[in-house]
Amino acid sequence: MKPDAMDAVFAALASRERRQMLDLVLAHPGCGVNQVAAHFAMSRVGVLKHLRLLEEAGLVLSEKVGRVRRLYFNAVPIQQIHARWSDRYGALFANHMVAIQERVESRNRQRKTNRA
Amino acid sequence: MPEPAIARETSPTQALFRIHIRGSLQEVWDEITRTDDVIPCFFNMRMHAERLQKGARLQMRTKSEKYVGVVGEVLEWDPPRRFAHTFRFTQMDDPPCKVSYELVEKDDGVEFTLRISELTPGTKSAKQMVQGAVMILNTLKAVIETGRPSLGTRALFVLFALLEPLTPRRCRTENWSSN
Repeated sequence: MKPDAMDAVFAALASRERRQMLDLVLAHPGCGVNQVAAHFAMSRVGVLKHLRLLEEAGLVLSEKVGRVRRLYFNAVPIQQIHARWSDRYGALFANHMVAIQERVESRNRQRKTNRA
Repeated sequence: MPEPAIARETSPTQALFRIHIRGSLQEVWDEITRTDDVIPCFFNMRMHAERLQKGARLQMRTKSEKYVGVVGEVLEWDPPRRFAHTFRFTQMDDPPCKVSYELVEKDDGVEFTLRISELTPGTKSAKQMVQGAVMILNTLKAVIETGRPSLGTRALFVLFALLEPLTPRRCRTENWSSN
């Protein structure tokens, strides 16, 4: 993930209103802007500005269906950020998996030898 | 950090996921449509089809080809930009959903969109489709940009291979020869 893209995600998430909007879009995939705006005591233009920031950060995807713009939550940028700081645990997990594989294969080899 | 949570609609009928990949359109297209080897971004399964074209039947088989995990039919085939097919897990009796892959050249790379639609609300398939989407995109990006999946994903593939013998008998390839 490029530094600018990561900055955009953190900036988008650094607002309580935008986090709540993200919650709404996550909870109601395909919802419209009006549906989101109904939950906030701010103008529709204000809501649109927040949604634009979320969209620019890649956290919200929108597509036009007829006259309505439908909104969807995109988990990918958050997962990429998570992966950046959790890879060391991934490595630990990988070592355990490889150890399990080796144990199972060694046991199977031993069984075959005993049968022979 | 208590913030009011919003009740989540657990059964959406459509979901969208998007990622930017530093690679060419053709590289990404070839990776998601290859039939000569396993496809890491599709959980290291092997796509099996006589010939990929509209109307063709396809299967996602395990690396050993002993089991079929997914069956489907190609609905759209527009190389190298759009590929859509029906998708049904062989382990479940849920109705099929539709999966489409959309590729657009953008910012010296490819904007890759995965669209899952016609999900049947409340089914286990719908839940698994949405849960697996992020891994598909991240693995595809890693393979195109670095040549291989992340270490954690490679570890998962080892686990999948170990658990393959526990796959239900109904998924054995001979039971899906007509699909």
